[in-house]
Amino acid sequence: MESIIDVQNLSKSYNADKVLNIEDLSIPKGQSFGLVGNNGAGKTTFFSLLLDLILPSTGHIENRGIVVSQSEDWKPYTSSFIDESFLIGYLTAEEYFYFIGDLRNTSKAEVDELLAEFQDFFHGEILNQKKYLRDLSKGNQKKAGIVAALIGNPEVVILDEPFANLDPTTQIRLKKIIKELSAKKHVTVLVSSHDLMHVTDVCERIVVLDKGEVVKDIHTSEQTLKELELYFEQ
Amino acid sequence: MTTTQFLSLEWKQFRRSSFFKKGLAIKILMILAGLYFAAIAVFGGIGIFFIFKKAIPDQDPFLMINNYMVYWVLGDLALRYFMQQLPVMNIKPMLLLPVKRHAVIKFLLLKTSFSFFNILPLLFFIPLSIVLMVQGYGPLMVLIWFIGVLAISFSINFLNFILNKNSKAFYIVIALLASSIGLKYFGIFDITPHTGVLFYSFFELGYTILIPLFAVVLLFKMNYRLLRKNFYIDGAVKAKKEKFQNYNLEFLNRFGTLATFLKNDIKMITRNARPKQVLIMSFLFLFYGLIFYTQDTYKNMPAFLAFASIFVTGGFLITFGQLVPSWDSEYYKLMMSQNVSYKKYLESKWLLMALACVASFILSTPYIYFGWDIYAMIAAGASFNIGLNSFITLYGGALNRVPVELNQKAKAFSNTQGFNPTQLLISLPKILGPMLIFYVPYKLINFNAGIIALTLSGILGLIFKSYFLNFIEKTYQKTKYKTIAAFSEKK
Repeated sequence: MESIIDVQNLSKSYNADKVLNIEDLSIPKGQSFGLVGNNGAGKTTFFSLLLDLILPSTGHIENRGIVVSQSEDWKPYTSSFIDESFLIGYLTAEEYFYFIGDLRNTSKAEVDELLAEFQDFFHGEILNQKKYLRDLSKGNQKKAGIVAALIGNPEVVILDEPFANLDPTTQIRLKKIIKELSAKKHVTVLVSSHDLMHVTDVCERIVVLDKGEVVKDIHTSEQTLKELELYFEQ
Repeated sequence: MTTTQFLSLEWKQFRRSSFFKKGLAIKILMILAGLYFAAIAVFGGIGIFFIFKKAIPDQDPFLMINNYMVYWVLGDLALRYFMQQLPVMNIKPMLLLPVKRHAVIKFLLLKTSFSFFNILPLLFFIPLSIVLMVQGYGPLMVLIWFIGVLAISFSINFLNFILNKNSKAFYIVIALLASSIGLKYFGIFDITPHTGVLFYSFFELGYTILIPLFAVVLLFKMNYRLLRKNFYIDGAVKAKKEKFQNYNLEFLNRFGTLATFLKNDIKMITRNARPKQVLIMSFLFLFYGLIFYTQDTYKNMPAFLAFASIFVTGGFLITFGQLVPSWDSEYYKLMMSQNVSYKKYLESKWLLMALACVASFILSTPYIYFGWDIYAMIAAGASFNIGLNSFITLYGGALNRVPVELNQKAKAFSNTQGFNPTQLLISLPKILGPMLIFYVPYKLINFNAGIIALTLSGILGLIFKSYFLNFIEKTYQKTKYKTIAAFSEKK
């Protein structure tokens, strides 16, 4: 399968501290890719590099052949939700979705169509609330952020810790959404998580980071959860 | 937890604040600025007695000072409302600790006594009291008067926190202030002698200071009770949730692709505390011309009039523009990972500033009262603002990497981060530019030539708009990572 994300000799150091060091990693198109690791393992650093929010110390990342730090042409087909700083606090959820829609050349009607698909996921707590995003609970903010990342038919979706702060019902629904994205729409989904169970449920492939290095690269199977649990027990 | 522990926390907060992480040059400048204000207060305190004596020789100057005290009270209250923050935001970590609530609240309230706003009046009234004593007013009674004034200052301090919860009360204060000045100006009714009686009675009778003393105690108790009642995370600690307001902004769609950002910016301005403050500030700038146009001294110094004219229409442009892109700092990562064109983004900000400039110009029509020359100057100033000042300000903003907390009012004199040498350098062309552009042709040819030159400078800027925007865009791209890092820093 052709790969969409290609990482070459990537490293990021702060002063003498090397926080990320990935020699070679490629993610095929349409794969659901999971990133696990303890705090400080470099998950968010990797995503930030992928989104060109920080510069790599060495190496580069290609997104569909485009070096992300050299051109911005990857932006139209890549979307992400990393943390609350991706939300615009003074907008209502709808206004936020339409704003993102505008940026991604998606009409109001198309956004509405997409939102209709997520009625379940929203659980009646996001739309028509007459509340600004900053006044929603953390969980509901996350829901809005995740759905916004799906506007405009992206080919690559990056979600940092999407399961954290969500209630159980929503976690289950989110897992279904991610699976469908990669299975039906061939969207490449990159997810990081501290929850081994969720990530093994959802992802076809799991990469374990430790102190910035790739220590495991597993194709998910029945034994994966056990293997991961064993690894993290040490 | 004892008071000393509280004090040690405060000290750490102070020592570790961003102020001390500044470069030496900035520190010196800040200290000089502080000294400047202090010196103004001290010399004001010394001088005011003699100013009144000279201005109205047949009246007792002290009596006159007392008459005008009412303006200080109302003005101080208005200033504090804008600038002084409620101290309640820091109590969250205390809620779970074994600390007596009343100890925390008392400490919080007493802490406010040491705010800049309480020290400044001291710097003014102590020298004034000394002057009074030297001038032969009874020292004991002057001392009592001073204590009375001090009590009023503290009453204002505590009253402000109650008013802060209630914006209606604030507008009443502003209306009182405006109408009393207006009524006096037009000679209809002068409130000053009536209120002066009270202030003077502190000196004359002495025992009337029980009134302000009683007011301080009462207001302190009220604050105490207010805080005590709200000492829960859903009470005073919690930021107010605002009611959702929606407007139809579809008419902005005529600006095409810029409309997306424009609509967003208008929501940003109307729904957040900090930009609202900017909006009010820029409205006040409209009156800036009054200071210069009404004074005969400036009549023959048209360069200063040009300077004033820039501010009449440029209030919003300057105060808003210098914080682009900081306004979007809270969600800057989103902007940087989305399909956003810097140029469109910048152009929309420019458009917003230009529209505000046009609106200010329309609102400035009453200045025709001061003559067509003045009005022509304001028009030329508006042209300069739209065509040149806007780009200079946007460029300055690009170098300014200060995160803005949108829904947090700017604290008085704590906004030091925006204060750096580059900002200072950038503000020079903003201030001196229009003065020079006007003054040189004015000196060489005549007044009209100055006006035309100023207008042309703006039009020239508009012609090169695309070039300027490209230039600023390059700055954005060059500093992208630095800006992202600075904006995601925790405050």
